[in-house]
Amino acid sequence: MSRRIVIPSVAAFIVLVGLILILSPHNMRRVQAGFLGLISPFLKTGSTVEKKFREFREGLKTLDQLEADNKRLSIANKDLSATNQTLRGLEAENNQLRKALQYRERAVFTLKPARIIGRDASTWYNKIVIDRGSEDGLAKEGDQPVLTEAGLVGKTTVVSDHSATVVLIADETCKVAGNVEGTREQGIIKGERMSNSRTPSVGLNFISKQANLQPGQNVYTSGTGGVFPGGVLIGQVKEFKVKELDGYASLIPAVDLATLEDVFVVVGKTK
Amino acid sequence: MRFFALLCVAMFAGLVGQHFIGPLPPYGARVLLLPVIMFYGALALPVPGMLALALCGGLMWDALHVQVILPEENSVEVALGWSIVLYAVLGTLMSGFRPLFQRGRWEIHCLLSGVCTSVIVLAEYLMRTFRADPDNPVVLIFNQEIWWRIGGAGMIAAMLSPLFFFALNYLAFLVGHDPQPARKGRATT
Repeated sequence: MSRRIVIPSVAAFIVLVGLILILSPHNMRRVQAGFLGLISPFLKTGSTVEKKFREFREGLKTLDQLEADNKRLSIANKDLSATNQTLRGLEAENNQLRKALQYRERAVFTLKPARIIGRDASTWYNKIVIDRGSEDGLAKEGDQPVLTEAGLVGKTTVVSDHSATVVLIADETCKVAGNVEGTREQGIIKGERMSNSRTPSVGLNFISKQANLQPGQNVYTSGTGGVFPGGVLIGQVKEFKVKELDGYASLIPAVDLATLEDVFVVVGKTK
Repeated sequence: MRFFALLCVAMFAGLVGQHFIGPLPPYGARVLLLPVIMFYGALALPVPGMLALALCGGLMWDALHVQVILPEENSVEVALGWSIVLYAVLGTLMSGFRPLFQRGRWEIHCLLSGVCTSVIVLAEYLMRTFRADPDNPVVLIFNQEIWWRIGGAGMIAAMLSPLFFFALNYLAFLVGHDPQPARKGRATT
């Protein structure tokens, strides 16, 4: 090929790459959000097809089974509604008492249900894509906690109009302040380098050497740091190790990150 | 031009498809389709086309996967665009084997495609390691798990390459582009 074509094309390439590399973090996030918006309809379609295929493969249920399931779910629904009502009353009472004692009122969070439409395909990152975005009430700047009824999942990062990326607690960039049930131990929870959603590896760092945590002890979010609300279950202690300067505990996440299908995004606070 | 557009669409489809293939046991090696298509493009297109393809592929990859913004420092872990550089360098390496490919040979290119895919995974690992936590010292871990993930992705790519090269060659003919003009029995006298 003629040098007259190659040299200008290489020069144009270098200039374009240079311009992309010097984008500010804010503009990088905008590019990411734009591309996520472009790809999400395909991910949604693919996820729906995959789900239908899986449901079909798992077999069709008989009418009797469906009726039994329906009955069981109706009872569970009524039970949960009743419990919810009672807890709301207790919450209001708790807040009144906290106020009387001049404690800060505990915030009540609004949850936005979301479906997982994609799992990150890169080797070293632990992320998922959900079908809710800024048009559904998620903050464009991200950093909103994502959880399930079992515990903490992660936080939002890139948010497009109708989809968002969630970085899982198994990723090393997702750091959460946590405390251990029944102790005064507090530390930072983050994923390990080798971790992935199938074999998540999460650790509680910077705890005291004398902590002597026992396997099975629950670890909750402490609520410090401003991103995650307090009291959300993160996982259970698997093993405690004493390092040179501090203690370290490996955790089993409360949420099964491999089979996760639906999550809730904490979108705001209501008093 | 039509062939270039076709490769861009194929890379986009590969990127979407990758989301539905989970990490493979035992150590979570990934099936990476976009790099395989990109490396085929590096063989089938001249240098300017290869660079344009690296730009599209790298940008798509980074926009979806690679760089993470660390909110505390408002800094980026791996900046948008690094994959473009990586793809262009590896694409140039593949381009060096283009004359052989044009004569109808595929074997070494498929193997090289696997090696280059492993290099991408290794480079991502190094970039993450050196940029991940500015407060802590850099700790490079190279255990069996890490090597499996790097090598596994390459092995899978090398195994998938013949299939992709064949399918993309076929599509190239359909859009009127001959990626192997010097193949035996095809060369003009």
